[in-house]
Amino acid sequence: MLKTMNQRIGLVLFLLAASYLFLSYQLPSYPYTAIDADVIPKGLGWLLLVLSVCLFFSRAIETDAEKEKRAIPKKEVLVLVTVFAMIFVYILLFELIGFVIMTALFIFVCSWFLGYDKWKTNLIVSILFPVALYGIFVFALGIVLPKGILPI
Amino acid sequence: MDAFQGLWTGFQVALSIEGIMFVLIGVVVGTLIGMMPGLGPISAIAIMIPITYGMDPAPALVMMAGVYYGAVFGGSTSSILLNAPGIAGTVATSFDGYPMANNGQAGKALAIAAISSFIGGTISVILLMMLAPALSSIAISFGPPAYFALMLMGLSAISSLSEGSTIKALISAVVGFMVVTIGIDPQTGTQRFTFDSVNLLDGFDFLIIALGLFAIAEVCMLVLNRRNRSLSDSQKLGSLKLSKSDLKEMSGPVTRQSFVGFILGVLPGAGATIASFISYIFEKRISKKPEEFGKGSIKGVAAPESSNNAATNGAFVPLLSLGIPGSGTTAVMLGAFLVLDVQPGPLLMTDRPEIFWGIIASMYIGNVFLLILNLPLIPYLAKILSIPRPMLISLVIMFSLIGVYSISFNVFDLYMLLVFGLIGFLMRIYSFPAPPFILAFILGGMMEQSFRQSMTISNGDLSIFVSSPLPLTLIIISLLSFLVPGILKWRKNRYISKV
Repeated sequence: MLKTMNQRIGLVLFLLAASYLFLSYQLPSYPYTAIDADVIPKGLGWLLLVLSVCLFFSRAIETDAEKEKRAIPKKEVLVLVTVFAMIFVYILLFELIGFVIMTALFIFVCSWFLGYDKWKTNLIVSILFPVALYGIFVFALGIVLPKGILPI
Repeated sequence: MDAFQGLWTGFQVALSIEGIMFVLIGVVVGTLIGMMPGLGPISAIAIMIPITYGMDPAPALVMMAGVYYGAVFGGSTSSILLNAPGIAGTVATSFDGYPMANNGQAGKALAIAAISSFIGGTISVILLMMLAPALSSIAISFGPPAYFALMLMGLSAISSLSEGSTIKALISAVVGFMVVTIGIDPQTGTQRFTFDSVNLLDGFDFLIIALGLFAIAEVCMLVLNRRNRSLSDSQKLGSLKLSKSDLKEMSGPVTRQSFVGFILGVLPGAGATIASFISYIFEKRISKKPEEFGKGSIKGVAAPESSNNAATNGAFVPLLSLGIPGSGTTAVMLGAFLVLDVQPGPLLMTDRPEIFWGIIASMYIGNVFLLILNLPLIPYLAKILSIPRPMLISLVIMFSLIGVYSISFNVFDLYMLLVFGLIGFLMRIYSFPAPPFILAFILGGMMEQSFRQSMTISNGDLSIFVSSPLPLTLIIISLLSFLVPGILKWRKNRYISKV
């Protein structure tokens, strides 16, 4: 049934369109307007539904270049997942622990994880970058970044 | 205000100390980010937007414009030196630029690229200066139906001209439009798709989408390609000098393709990438020695480089005079305007002449700066290409996170940045083009508004879009644009069967 990649993506988009449409039909109506808030969403939902069906049945054959693009070795997927996880942890903790410390940690660990082995340069950049940026944002631009556990 | 008076106002902005400083910052940052393979002008603009918060709009926008054309200017360096285009608009430059570098003529190729970019940029600013005010004065009479049709044309053009499947490009545009419907409907106050979450009431800020779909997604691709070679210290650039015959050879293509590029830049959907390819093919067709192309032809570097820079400035015509971006990059530029509370469009020229003319005037100066940066200073500037990829990746992630955080101070938005980064990455590996998404996201709100205004005028009668000539023509063009991929495919097949 789901032989080609287009069919699989088509199915996912079909489900997305269907749930979007379902929600569009639930939108409350507002009587004092010519065109209510649900008109455009309904139109978009149906459009995506039709397009996902078109994609499902499209006979376009994936080119080799396209196939190559999505052929990512398992090991690399793991690397990407780890990078995303690191960003997640950063977001989770940076208001609590503070911008400077978390950013320094992130840059050092992430660069090292991705294969940068000159740890001295890495250390210098990962300390100078957040300190300089913190200075620019907080003192020059007046944008407050979380200071966390540091005194300033 | 006539054009000369306007330009005078513009130069007063651009030549003030503040103006010169921000043009310089803009073009330097643009050139540097544009050089980095994998990071495009959209990421460059989006990363710089947070810096403009609280700035005076005129210098801020002069800087952002500099980032944009600087990125296109700088993109050629990595095309030539690494065969890894800094941006999509300079892919065609690598066809002949990289062979030249392999022949030990890297310096010469860089010099040709810089001079061609400079001429392309300068000719197109002159054209921009003439066309944008004219279009502004026409557009001032456009009603909501015409605006709706114009935006529809922009979206259909970008979808039909995208590389690869038109269906996928359309899906990308529709989903981008869907994302912008999330939040409180500005006309009726109805909450749409907010799931009763306070965080979703205002919808998504465009910076989340731009940085997610472009910067974070590009970072993911960089992670996969992190072992690709970066510039080695031993690489010699060779002499930057051009002989008289070199200059004579490039003069023809540069002049012609500056005009071609400008026109393609003004039209919706095309932009620098398509312009550079068309100019490359154009010159190859009319060349007496087409076999030289691809092996280090001077014309092969000059044509796409003059064209992509001319197209970049050309793209400012619809942006400044209509307020409607025609490409993904100008969509993000529009976002940069809106962040500063400046609405580009027909009224910009009369209401905010210092911005309208300031940007145009600053382009003359910016192009001179870029010529200096990219010609005598290029050996030093190119050193940035030796920044190790892992470090570059960490830094870009940080810039994106700080950028989003500094607009809302809301951690929820950072998680959304991560989500859109993932979506952008998946779109890239499954060959869904991202520019239609961002353009639809930016235009979506405006389109819905003009659609509903039109319907209010006509009392719900759809025929308002076809009853007057301008909207009707634009809608017909939008529909016809979907025939373009079919025609191109047919021609390609015929070409293949001939060979």
